[in-house]
Formats: sequence, C-alpha cells, structure tokens
Amino acid sequence: MNENEDEPKDFIKLNYEKLSTDEVSELVISPCCGAVSLFIGTTRNNFEGKKVIHLEYEAYSPMAEAEIKKICRDVRQKWPSVKHIAVHHRLGLVPVTEASVIVAVSSPHRVASLEAVQYCINTLKATVPIWKKEIYEEAYSWKENKECFWADVEK
Amino acid sequence: QIINCLESAELAGVRSEIISVPQQLTSLQLWEEIVKRHPTLAAIQDQVVFAIRQEYVILGDQLLVLQSGDEVAIIPPISGG
Repeated sequence: MNENEDEPKDFIKLNYEKLSTDEVSELVISPCCGAVSLFIGTTRNNFEGKKVIHLEYEAYSPMAEAEIKKICRDVRQKWPSVKHIAVHHRLGLVPVTEASVIVAVSSPHRVASLEAVQYCINTLKATVPIWKKEIYEEAYSWKENKECFWADVEK
Repeated sequence: QIINCLESAELAGVRSEIISVPQQLTSLQLWEEIVKRHPTLAAIQDQVVFAIRQEYVILGDQLLVLQSGDEVAIIPPISGG
C-alpha cells in the first residue's frame, strides 16, 4: 500500500454546486480512523417571523480558502490525532433545506473528530470572508454572524 | 502606490477600483483616502475591517507598507456557514 495515500489531508471546496454528504464523508474516511464526524448547515425557512425563500452566498474566494486552510492548521495543532478534514461551502443560491456547508473530520477515536468539527464551523463563522443574503418574499437582508470577530453585531 | 480595492458593492456603487495612495500610511488613513473618494462608505466605518494582501487589518494605527498592485478589500461583517 502506498503510504502517501494516507497522509493527513485537508479538502477545501468553494463552488456553486449542490453539496453531497456522501462525497464529503468519503473524502475523510481512513483505515486508521474509527470516527468520522460531520456537520451540515442547511437553509432554514424563517428568520424573525419572516418567511425565507432562499439564501444567496458570496465569498472573497482566494482569502476564504486561505482562512479555511488556517482553521485546518489550527485543528491539527489542537487535536493532533485528527486525520483528514473536509470543508465544502456552497456559493450562490441555496434553496431552503439544502446544505450550504458541510464539515467532516476523521480521527482514530471519536472525541477529537467531534470537537474538531465544532471548532471548525464555529471558527468559520467568525473568520472566513463569506456572506449570506436572506431572500424573503418581499425583501432581502445581508446577514451578520454574531461570531464575526470585528463587528459589534448585537448593538 | 496603486492598489486595487474591492468595495462593499451595494453601498459604494462600485465593485472594485484602482487608486493611488502613499506607500506608508496607517490603516485608518487608508480608510480615510477611500472615504474621500466614496463618502457613502463613512456610514459603515464601525462595521468593517480591511483585508490587505488577504490578511485582516483593523482600522487603526497599524502602519502599512504598500506595494504597487496590492489588493485591499473592505470586509463587512461576515455570515458564512
């Protein structure tokens, strides 16, 4: 067996295609790992009583990929047993109930992968330059994460 | 120095433009140069940061050394995920 096949890898993808949970889990599965943890972010149909028709995502793409790469690097420092990490974020129009982001992490035992997935999505929401616009029936709104590290969103 | 600015498109009315600024200035001074050209951006000063050569820079006293062709982006509050 080629040893290079099982080097720890980061799989980062930002594009306009529908996301696939199967594809993302298959990327991180590894013979030495007993745990794969997944987070899927899906479009919700309501915000503050307004009906959401769909979300539209935009990214400052080269920097978004670089920031996700930094998150992967931090994950590996905090959880050295983590094997593979995959972060796929969809851009453009995402209809209600479809996935906008999938994060998957594999590790030999479950604690690292569970904690790393949580860290990944939380940090993504605080630092990665991606924006979503909620489209309601009669209006739209650019959203602001409360995790955003520079804005006082809850003023 | 000539730098490329990606701007908060809806507010400024432009997506990106090339401007000329001193090679060394603080990040706040750079913001002021941009607002001179697009006064409507002043309204969002408290909500934005820069990304200069794709690294975050807060508006303040940090001294920047810019090169010709550097990309500066104005980053409003993010909402990924």
